[in-house]
Amino acid sequence: MNTLHQSAKATSRLGRPISASVLIAWLVYLFLIVPSLIVVPMSFGTSNELVFPPQQWGLDLYAKALDPAQGWLSAGGRSFVLGLIATGLALMMGVPAAYGLSRTNFFGQKALSFMLLSPIFAPTIVVALALYLYFATLHINGSMLGLVMGHAVIITPFLVVTTLSGLKHLDRNIENAAMVMGATQLQVFFRVVLPAIKGPVLSGSLFAFLLSFDEVIVSWFIARSDQPTLPVKMYSSIQWEVSPVLAAISTFLVFITVIVSLVSAFAQPENTDGF
Amino acid sequence: MQTMHALETNTTIGKAHRGRIPIMIRTLGFGTFLLPLTVFMLLVFCVPLLGVARASFYTNGTWTLSAYREFVSGALFHRALINTLSIGFMTGLISVICGYFVAYHLSRMPQRKRRLYIILVMLPFWTSILVKSFAFTVLLGTNGIINQALQAISGTNVVVPMIFNRAGVIIGMAHWLIPFSVLPILSSLLSQDKALRDAAEVMGATGMQVFWKVTFPLSLPGVLASGLMASVIGMGSFVTPSLLGGRQDLMMANLVDFYVREALDWRMASAIAVVLILLALLILSTAAFVRTRLSR
Amino acid sequence: MTSKLTLHGVSKRYGPVTALHPTDLEVREGEFVTLLGPSGSGKSTLLKIIAGMELPTEGRIIINGRDATEMPVRERDLGMVFQNYALMPHLTVFDNVAFPLKIRKTATEEIRRKVHDALKTVQLEHLKDRKPQALSGGQQQRVSIARAIVYNPSLVLMDEPLGALDKKLREQLQFEIKELHDRLGITILYVTHDQQEAMSMSDRVALMNGGRIEQIGTPRQLYFTPETAFAADFLGSSNFIDATVTARTSERTVCRLSSGEEIAAPSREGFSEGQKVRLMVRPEHISLLGQAVSADRNVLKGVTTGTTFFGESAEIRARLAAGSEIAIRIPNDYSLPEAEPGAPLHLEWDVRQTHVFA
Repeated sequence: MNTLHQSAKATSRLGRPISASVLIAWLVYLFLIVPSLIVVPMSFGTSNELVFPPQQWGLDLYAKALDPAQGWLSAGGRSFVLGLIATGLALMMGVPAAYGLSRTNFFGQKALSFMLLSPIFAPTIVVALALYLYFATLHINGSMLGLVMGHAVIITPFLVVTTLSGLKHLDRNIENAAMVMGATQLQVFFRVVLPAIKGPVLSGSLFAFLLSFDEVIVSWFIARSDQPTLPVKMYSSIQWEVSPVLAAISTFLVFITVIVSLVSAFAQPENTDGF
Repeated sequence: MQTMHALETNTTIGKAHRGRIPIMIRTLGFGTFLLPLTVFMLLVFCVPLLGVARASFYTNGTWTLSAYREFVSGALFHRALINTLSIGFMTGLISVICGYFVAYHLSRMPQRKRRLYIILVMLPFWTSILVKSFAFTVLLGTNGIINQALQAISGTNVVVPMIFNRAGVIIGMAHWLIPFSVLPILSSLLSQDKALRDAAEVMGATGMQVFWKVTFPLSLPGVLASGLMASVIGMGSFVTPSLLGGRQDLMMANLVDFYVREALDWRMASAIAVVLILLALLILSTAAFVRTRLSR
Repeated sequence: MTSKLTLHGVSKRYGPVTALHPTDLEVREGEFVTLLGPSGSGKSTLLKIIAGMELPTEGRIIINGRDATEMPVRERDLGMVFQNYALMPHLTVFDNVAFPLKIRKTATEEIRRKVHDALKTVQLEHLKDRKPQALSGGQQQRVSIARAIVYNPSLVLMDEPLGALDKKLREQLQFEIKELHDRLGITILYVTHDQQEAMSMSDRVALMNGGRIEQIGTPRQLYFTPETAFAADFLGSSNFIDATVTARTSERTVCRLSSGEEIAAPSREGFSEGQKVRLMVRPEHISLLGQAVSADRNVLKGVTTGTTFFGESAEIRARLAAGSEIAIRIPNDYSLPEAEPGAPLHLEWDVRQTHVFA
């Protein structure tokens, strides 16, 4: 009762300044969300010019996007397969590494975790150039192998971070209990730790997939120009001429983002702060 | 790896009278979890990065500083460096200011509601930068939605140039960076002890006073750190200046691309990349320093 | 009785800090031994060393006749109950209890039978398909106990298992654990900082302080014959009075207070005439009834300074002629003397209830 009363008083006393700040907050929300929303109605237009709102409604742009001759379909398929493989690789390396990092405390551990996570902080263009030069000497530029490795470098640190945050909520005594009861280290990892953090790991890998699916800079350097990934094809398309088909492709990408966000929201435990 | 673990158990082993082999196996066991990713990152991240550094010094069989000499003397590089710094800090500042309003708004609502509102931040965060760039070309273009609306309202043929210039880059990048600054500021606001604000209020402070004397100073380290962080991310940006900026808004990342693709000069591209990553390291360590210094 | 756990000179140092001085301890089969002490007394360090989560700096650990000093945790054949239950959130109650059996590759049918029995022991069969999060704290801790006994480990370690529960539940579970121990004959090493819990459950209590075992014995021994002032103070309440030894026989030591009054106590080794000592008597051993009638009772004069009412008992505080404050616990009945502040009091107690400490 008391606190309720107090907070009601506080808001009314704060009056004007607070509502001004709320107004600005809403303007920022609007600014953030509008670009993702605007592409949706545009994708249902029919004309060859980009006009808003569309004069006529239809599915022409989707038909065009799905036309194999346009190459969007094969680029999308390439990105999808690439995302799946890169995410699988990231899972196999990143989840154990996060477990190792969270359960040890040795000299140089800070340096190691900085090294493992640094692709997050490094300018992507530098990573892209580095991989381009490196893969050139290995002669795997333009290959799926090169793309998978490049994407794994970008997305694995991210999966490590989300796994680490899941592990933070896991009571270490659960693992101690399992060990006292006779479980080996591997049994503890596979039968206790992994099932307990499957929510954060699942949502982390969904976003890792999304990260790979949307990745443009590394792919722009590594992919063959006649076998682009979806974002690379989009990038060069926007560069040369802003075609209305992009509205349909963009809507599809927004749709995937929404799906991934929704699924991961359900995978997260209730008591965490959704981000 | 092995030496690191040996170092860790050293204190115990040193004093023990017999071999602590089981415990070494146990500790190395965690090492095994770390091993695959460590090897991968060494081979596919660290070695390539060193390769960039090497390529910037080593051309045609000789070691040379020529690329850096060109960087120091070339007007194009000065332009790109100044663009990178000014656009980076500018958008960092804008996104922290905008992000603060959003974070503050989010921090003052119940958790359940916050989970919902945060989607408004996370959805743009996870949306492909190409979707956003495309949307901004449609929104900001000379025939774009905003200019059409302005013309309709004013009844004139006025056109505000908002794309292929500095304004376009800053709008696009701010949009990209705001979510990056909302989350750290929000977590710094949420970690504040509510009792401090209550205490200030009980002692008679007004809402504005509580904010400026308690909430804001406490959040300052987080704000500065996330502002610098956003600036660093912005400085590495490539897609936005390329798609929304004009020729005069070229940033260092675009120059790297130019030297690889057009000029086919890996030496110069590498030197620019080295400068860029050193810049990022410098600012990031400043951010880390600021953070520890201020939160003490 | 065979020994389930023996510690020989086990110690732990972290750099220059000594968390545990060389310690000996024996826990016999079927025994309930409690490590009791304030936080930082070394009891948790000792438990972690026994469980194998920490290595001792020196010393040997023998579990069930096998040298376990360097044995990995999983081979030590222990059961453990944690303060925060440490149940696996992704498994049902049944699967949680079945976990140690599955690790041991026990046959499915046997698992079903043993888990069923263990859950029956803690009266939770009806909740076997629930997830731990759907259970109350007390129920979760019962699951955790069932899990620790289902595979018959040599020794069950309990690390402040009732610390997260409220008072009523704590008392009920104290009773249940004690009853389980007596019925199944399991060997338990229990850690707590709650002296009442230790006293009511244990066969023997090892009182820990400053990284060493201060005194070990039955709850009665610790209560009636504390060997140190710390032991006297930590178990139960106590009054301390400064005095000087004036006379000493093999039976009795007589001490003089600053007021000139004399107090007798049973003699113990290590005290000589003229030595400054602290006398201890427990508040509940003092009575207020009249004059001493025999030489077996000590008498002191005092003045009431205040009273506190506790329901089943009351505490009267008095200032002695010697100057120090003293508390007296008396059961409440209608014949309570009026204890107005300033009223004179005659305190008396049995000589055998007097303890002398250096």
